[in-house]
Amino acid sequence: MIYFYDGSETAFLTAFVLSYRDEQATLVSGNAQLSLGQETVFVRADETSAARARERLLRYDKDCMHDLSMLLRSGDPERDRAALGYFRLIAKKKCPVRGMFAEPAVIETDTCLRRIGTELEHLRGFVRFLVCESGALYAPISPDHDIADLLLPHFRARLPLFPFAIHDVRRKKAAVYDGKNSFVAPLDRAEVILSADEENWKELWKDYYRSVNIPSRERLKQMRGYMPVRYWKFMPEKSL
Amino acid sequence: MFVLYNTGMITEQKLRILTEAAKFDVSCSSSGSDRRNEGGIGNAAANGCCHSFTPDGRCISLLKILLSNDCVFDCKYCRNRVSSDTPRATATPDEICELVIEFYKRNYIEGLFLSSSVFVSPDHTMEQLLLTAKKLRTEYNFHGYLHVKGIPRADPRLVHETALYADRMSYNIELPSERSLRLLAPQKSRESLLLPMKDLQLSKIAFKEEKRKGKFLPAGQTTQMIVGATPETDGTILRLSQSLYRVNGLKRVYYSSYVPVVHDPLLPEKAAGEVREHRLYQADWLLRFYGFSAEELVGEEGNLSLETDPKCAWALRNMQLFPVEVNRAPLEMLLRVPGIGARSAYKITEARRYTTLRFEDLKRMRVVLKRAKHFLTADGKFYGEKREQAVRSLLAEGKPEQLSLFSDRETVFSALTGEL
Repeated sequence: MIYFYDGSETAFLTAFVLSYRDEQATLVSGNAQLSLGQETVFVRADETSAARARERLLRYDKDCMHDLSMLLRSGDPERDRAALGYFRLIAKKKCPVRGMFAEPAVIETDTCLRRIGTELEHLRGFVRFLVCESGALYAPISPDHDIADLLLPHFRARLPLFPFAIHDVRRKKAAVYDGKNSFVAPLDRAEVILSADEENWKELWKDYYRSVNIPSRERLKQMRGYMPVRYWKFMPEKSL
Repeated sequence: MFVLYNTGMITEQKLRILTEAAKFDVSCSSSGSDRRNEGGIGNAAANGCCHSFTPDGRCISLLKILLSNDCVFDCKYCRNRVSSDTPRATATPDEICELVIEFYKRNYIEGLFLSSSVFVSPDHTMEQLLLTAKKLRTEYNFHGYLHVKGIPRADPRLVHETALYADRMSYNIELPSERSLRLLAPQKSRESLLLPMKDLQLSKIAFKEEKRKGKFLPAGQTTQMIVGATPETDGTILRLSQSLYRVNGLKRVYYSSYVPVVHDPLLPEKAAGEVREHRLYQADWLLRFYGFSAEELVGEEGNLSLETDPKCAWALRNMQLFPVEVNRAPLEMLLRVPGIGARSAYKITEARRYTTLRFEDLKRMRVVLKRAKHFLTADGKFYGEKREQAVRSLLAEGKPEQLSLFSDRETVFSALTGEL
């Protein structure tokens, strides 16, 4: 049976309970190809059932809800399967399973979580702010995983004097720091008026990027390995 | 706002000259400091952060720039030496500070790597570096990463004060022996480089013991050596690195394979191989994180093998210790197995608490077995090559050479036996 859910934590836990006895269960959020003859269920988030599952799972592993909230941010197609397998294993073993690397579900979960961690680390470096006329900062991003709000504490700690917005243009939402508080808001398109010397600083940065390179030692493959091309779009030194 | 700018933007040309002059310094890391933001701009991330990568595959973490390339020293290998005909520029401390703030705000960089040629005199240069560091911290209220180069023969008091503002300082040893220094960098001596390092190390210890307020080089010191410009062997270089780590408490030693930027009869005409640099870095890692000693890796007069990585070469010399059983070997031994790194070793030690690991498990855990399988048993089973000679030839990284009628005897012998 296929269980559709909306990608939220409550709905996941509801679906987890509903599908628990179904050996053939597949969890799906988002778009999936349906093959004929497969039975489907649309799971509606049920707070009572989810709360019970949450309580039980937390008794076995007090950190597992953190894993879940991270997993649900993943944009990987296999994340639903990984999450289902991972939480079934916790329920079966009745203890934390994160170190059981011989279990396929643990490896899959570990891979998903690590990819999110890697992207977060990448974006801490690759986010490029544009300075607006008002002095506020604006950075568009298009990450694989839903992590815009996870970037907030990092930039808030280092740029406390500047209000800023990190705009996930793919998911149409923005992580915002207004100078006092930070929050997440839906945002389709942003109108940005840039400061007068923004272009000049950008040009200087491109100059710097060109000068610091050693052309006789070209290693493009290595560069692309460390800085995947999908992040180049918003980086002035790389965009055309 | 918190900054009043009193200068114009640095010119494109100046930036280009001062960057071009700084780019051969390989140190770029921004790790090791956890300086906090104190109401200004920036902080330091203990793990460091890479902000971009250039087409040569190197990371940009810090704005790497010279304050001036107008040098009075005449080090033979350096393009900024006094006798070289190269365009000169000197930036003001304010130009540098403003550039850092504007780049940092846009998240282009993690901080500043500030170096300089020796202009006017060592003391004057150090004074200007200190002034820039101080301005950046106090006037511009910058709390991001700051790496400042020490100038040999400068007044220790200036160096000491700079250390109060910098996260990391470094003196470049450049050449691994006194003889080579005398030949190629007549104004520098081993003393002029090692003494200030020692000084800073002692001051840092004292600073900690006295529990004084503020910070003193939280990310410690590093240095750099040019490889291939002079005849020192890898054995000599690694022993020097080891003593720098153990005795002088350095955080990193960087190796830079020699690139001929100037022509001089005392210098080789050709660039040194990058493979050698790579092997030195691998060996350096083994010294710092894998519990190896320089003596285990290479003889005093020897060089590292270019064909096999140093860990593999060590394992091949010590075949009597292998294979080890994956389910029982202590962590230190797992780390010595070729192909197993810190992450794989961690996964293995975690997973074997719950179950006996078989080869399929290792594969599924994505432990790279290409090399490791010759040195491991899993659940008592061995899947590697039993004959030592065959292992040797399987593990050489160089492309196998097609034998021709005209190959010299040694090459043929080596290809047949796999002996290197």
